[in-house]
Amino acid sequence: MARIVVDPVTRIEGHLRIEAEVNGGAVTDAWSSGTMFRGIELILKGRDPREAWVWTQRICGVCTTVHALTSVRAVEDALGIEVPENANLIRNIIGSSQYVQDHVIHFYHLHALDWVDVTLALKADPAKTSQLAESISPWPKSSKNYFKAIQDKVKALVESKQLSLFSSGYWGHPAYHLPPEANLLAVAHYIEALEFQKDYIRIHAVLGGKNPHLQTYLVGGMSTSMDPDEPGATINPERITFLTELAAKAQAFVDQVYVPDVLAVAAFYRDWFGHGEGLGNFLSYGDYPQGGVKDPARFYLQRGAIFGHDLSKVHPVDPANVSEYVTHSWYEYGDGDQNGKNPYQGETKPQYTGPKPPFEHLDVDKKYSWLKAPRYQDHPMEVGPLSRMLVAYASGHPDVKPVVDAVLAKLNAPATALFSTLGRIAARAIEAKVMAGQVVKWVAELGDKLGHGDLRVHNGEKWDPDTWPKQAQGWGFHEAPRGSLGHWVEIEDQKIKNYQCVVPTTWNAGPRDGKGQRGAYEAALLKTPVADPERPVEILRTVHSFDPCLACAVHVVDARGRKYTPVTVR
Amino acid sequence: MRAATAKTVVLGLGNILHGDDGAGAQAISRLRADPRVPTDVSLVEGGTLGLELLPHVWDCSRLIVIDAVDVGEPAGTLVRMSGEELNSLPGNSTVHQLGVSDLLVALRMLAERQPEVVLLGVQPLSTDWSCELSPPVAAATDFLVEATLRELQPLAEPNVVDANS
Repeated sequence: MARIVVDPVTRIEGHLRIEAEVNGGAVTDAWSSGTMFRGIELILKGRDPREAWVWTQRICGVCTTVHALTSVRAVEDALGIEVPENANLIRNIIGSSQYVQDHVIHFYHLHALDWVDVTLALKADPAKTSQLAESISPWPKSSKNYFKAIQDKVKALVESKQLSLFSSGYWGHPAYHLPPEANLLAVAHYIEALEFQKDYIRIHAVLGGKNPHLQTYLVGGMSTSMDPDEPGATINPERITFLTELAAKAQAFVDQVYVPDVLAVAAFYRDWFGHGEGLGNFLSYGDYPQGGVKDPARFYLQRGAIFGHDLSKVHPVDPANVSEYVTHSWYEYGDGDQNGKNPYQGETKPQYTGPKPPFEHLDVDKKYSWLKAPRYQDHPMEVGPLSRMLVAYASGHPDVKPVVDAVLAKLNAPATALFSTLGRIAARAIEAKVMAGQVVKWVAELGDKLGHGDLRVHNGEKWDPDTWPKQAQGWGFHEAPRGSLGHWVEIEDQKIKNYQCVVPTTWNAGPRDGKGQRGAYEAALLKTPVADPERPVEILRTVHSFDPCLACAVHVVDARGRKYTPVTVR
Repeated sequence: MRAATAKTVVLGLGNILHGDDGAGAQAISRLRADPRVPTDVSLVEGGTLGLELLPHVWDCSRLIVIDAVDVGEPAGTLVRMSGEELNSLPGNSTVHQLGVSDLLVALRMLAERQPEVVLLGVQPLSTDWSCELSPPVAAATDFLVEATLRELQPLAEPNVVDANS
């Protein structure tokens, strides 16, 4: 028996440690430990709730807008504020375009190297790569010369030793089995995806005033000005045209590059429909209101929960049933650590009892993570694109169901195959396709509103704190790209009294709870094959399939032992 | 050739909620208010993003990155890295894997011409949760701003002095 430690898990955003017990070439038990303490709650106490979103959007180093949206919704819920339809529409466009952006980046830049061997791409025949590309998609960049040029570029990069982006793959590992041509195709699209993401996110720059860290959120709506006759307005006819172009380009990229690539890669790795199954419990708060946040029945993506792999029944979801355990987390609760607490009663009191670094293993019988363990009705739940797509599929979503069925048919797999590592990857691509289409529709809708002179983006009735009750509490939610995100706020005397965030990666990467039930990663890693314990690429495949994001990234460049020049200032 | 298409970007990185990690962001807000910054220089506060910052830098001819840099020196020490010193940085043990080094490699793959890149860094004391810089890093921010301004002068004398001289 060997205990494998992967720390840090690379090509994720943030810091995660996995310990896995391996017997007879497969994982027999696993523990997931978030190694950074999240203290945003402590920073927010005593602040004006109307500015909480400005701080919360700094929690995350990647999808900066998701916490901003969730925060304004929490405060709006507490104060009973309904936002105008236009504000919902703008928020929907920002959120759905974030899905497209993040899912593309995840597949190509964070996950592809678990499946694609860059070094093999150098051995590919560009002519054959061109044939392969043309057989799976009408995408125009598919000539032999194009792939030859990409190959030369990568060669130059390898020779210059600037491999950073590609440096954490386990090249030559027997678990890689794409032919060289497929590897070259994937590398070419890796580079095209870089280009794609740099253009597409300008949607956020327009609607958010700036990107990163959008600044147009507002408790009560948005501050995005709309005016058909004002060239200086954030949203005017010219801007609608620009957004429409970006949305259409993205739709083409997803349909003609991302989805065909996922299908092509998946066809070589069909065995991964049989690995990484996980909990079988799926949660989605639902999102994309089409009539207000209080009307989940009209959300574009449904709210619901699935238990025990049972796709025949979608259960209703009530945030009162969410609780967080700290039995195995480095926190303490005032009344003992055995029971969970709803976030309204949540406490964030750090209490590190783990070993002093450097150490070999965590003491997993005790506390072993900086993440709490969230539960729904005391069940551990998986969140993310797979959960959303399963809830939508099981609810008969008119846009999602046909795409899921088409993908399953193409891969000759039953719906139950989606409970897997490959299922998560497929679900993310399906969601990107569906949501890229929604961005197009919602931008058109916004253009219509503008044309009809419906320009209201903010409800200022309760902006003045003197209109607030002495005490109030509220729940804000968002289905962020990585899954269900909730903020719970308690307001007293116009100030924040308590603030708790339960983030997607806490659901997925959290540790065991008071009953010893595993978290989503821990469960998904069970039975994962490991050919070579020294190079556990299989473990990375399953963990990366969740798109880990341990929020609260710190950006210190580690340059110890490197050459640098001290600077003095005269 | 710099000619008409020359574009200089100053990119401040770091998380403003994490103490000294926010030094890059602080420097940018100081530079925004500083009349000595040439008007054609683009100042970008990039938070903790990496590749997502491509839209801001892909077409620049000069890139000056300001960030907290752990070199194991006393807190507040300023360092400058450029050229080969920036190859394959940071190492595998970094927290934020898709960070500034990935951005630089992505630039190499996308940009028509390679920008000149300089990293100006300050040694952090603490990156625990806090919205304030520690005293030594707060003091060093003045120098960080001055050092950046000197990078921005087209014909400036080298602003680097050997530690031993």
